[in-house]
Amino acid sequence: MADSYDVVVIGAGPGGYVAAIRCAQLGLRTACIDKWINKQGEPALGGTCLNVGCIPSKALLDTSERYHELLHGLPARGIRAADVELDVPAMIAHKDQVVRDLTNGIKMLFKANGIHWLQGSGRLLDNRRVEFTPLAGGAPQVLEADNIILATGSVPIELAAAPVDGELIVDSTGALEFTEVPGRLGIIGAGVIGLELGSVWRRLGAEVVLLEAQDTFLYAADQQIAREALKHFKRQGLEIHLGACVTATKAHKKTVTVSYRDAEGDHEIKVDRLVVAVGRRPYTDGLIAPECELLLDESGFIHVDEENRTNLPGVWAVGDVCGGPMLAHKGSEEGIAVAERIAGMHAHVNRETIPMVIYTQPEIAWVGRTEEKLKAAGVPYRAGTFPFAANGRARAMAQTAGMVKILAHAETDRVLGVHMIGPMVSELIHEAVVAMEFGASSEDLARTIHAHPALAEVVHEAALAVDGRAIHRAR
Amino acid sequence: AAPPLSPAVRRLVEEHGLDPSQIQGSGKGGRILKEDVLRHIEAAKAA
Repeated sequence: MADSYDVVVIGAGPGGYVAAIRCAQLGLRTACIDKWINKQGEPALGGTCLNVGCIPSKALLDTSERYHELLHGLPARGIRAADVELDVPAMIAHKDQVVRDLTNGIKMLFKANGIHWLQGSGRLLDNRRVEFTPLAGGAPQVLEADNIILATGSVPIELAAAPVDGELIVDSTGALEFTEVPGRLGIIGAGVIGLELGSVWRRLGAEVVLLEAQDTFLYAADQQIAREALKHFKRQGLEIHLGACVTATKAHKKTVTVSYRDAEGDHEIKVDRLVVAVGRRPYTDGLIAPECELLLDESGFIHVDEENRTNLPGVWAVGDVCGGPMLAHKGSEEGIAVAERIAGMHAHVNRETIPMVIYTQPEIAWVGRTEEKLKAAGVPYRAGTFPFAANGRARAMAQTAGMVKILAHAETDRVLGVHMIGPMVSELIHEAVVAMEFGASSEDLARTIHAHPALAEVVHEAALAVDGRAIHRAR
Repeated sequence: AAPPLSPAVRRLVEEHGLDPSQIQGSGKGGRILKEDVLRHIEAAKAA
């Protein structure tokens, strides 16, 4: 007889593992199938985010930032260290340890919640059945489930003109594993992933050149923020070429020649390593048995409704595999909502208030609509901005780049979008997210007491500025 | 326009199939707080 569960989750990334935990909390008999094998050759939970995404990249961003600060920031503040050494393998080892600790943490949570971790691959059959093939070998097994949650995530998009060889030409995973600083690093794609990886290796001394096919830098961001960001990144030495389409690459013994075309014609650059970071695509390889009529959209995403239901009864999909912003917290929220719906509860994912963060320096974060989107939609708005340069805490920290920008409806004053570039805005953005969840007006933020001195005062002042009454700025 | 609902209020209203316009809000500008919904549900039970 087939094993049966209330819920079988396929994929243990932020969408899947969070869904599994929430299902278990709600008393559902839950199994989670995952086939990830980590660097050490062991099965590991956590998916892309924990193993090769959010977490490892943040570890390297933090370490590289401290190194850079020690060399270039602190001497001006009276701290001079002689013989600063960079040990790249030790930096990578720290990152690996963080990843191991956190993925083990999920293992503990699974155990504590009584979730069956099935190590291997899952394939969706018809009639609410899943075929599980163990990594350890052995015969595939058929599981029956009242509900199935597909959370198989995404993988890097490949570029025909730059095939990844795992040595000189790598994807984002490979770029987290360099054992020495490349002399000259090329990155195809100046999106979030390209900018973060480029920042890491730039701070450690690499010359970094980013080739971006789009003409607009960070086209999804508010363009005032994007312009500010581009200025800082260029000053940091990130060489960014917009409207640059890579046409061919040629790997030599130790270098790669990259050919690209832009408005001015054809160009060629030579780099020591090349990272392909042009985006990610939904991952459904081997997931769907032929008899299964699961609907995918034209880009390969699993088709879901507002509540993450697929076209098949009892089958749900969450996270990167079903479209929308490819963000860990988006997948997790969908996972929680689906678990609650399965348990008969009401749940709601507010897609208007999903924060977006880029962990560069300065950091970039936003929630809600950009000025460009409001203009295009013909929504009347008022904008308030305030610079970190006029904030005491930012000055004390010697991190004065950037600003906060608040967009509020011209008539109702309801906050419609908040855009930030500056120190720790990855943390500051959440005040804006909460405000928007509660339908706050800019006056609500302006009349909320903010501690002094704190970076969050910049949010306060930007809210005051919506009404033209910021205190620490001459009109 | 109806005053915006907070996330917890949204959940309660949906779960109990309530019409927010029938709930007396005690928050700023008549905003419905979670406690208002809970009170409303209790009152409906008692009636």
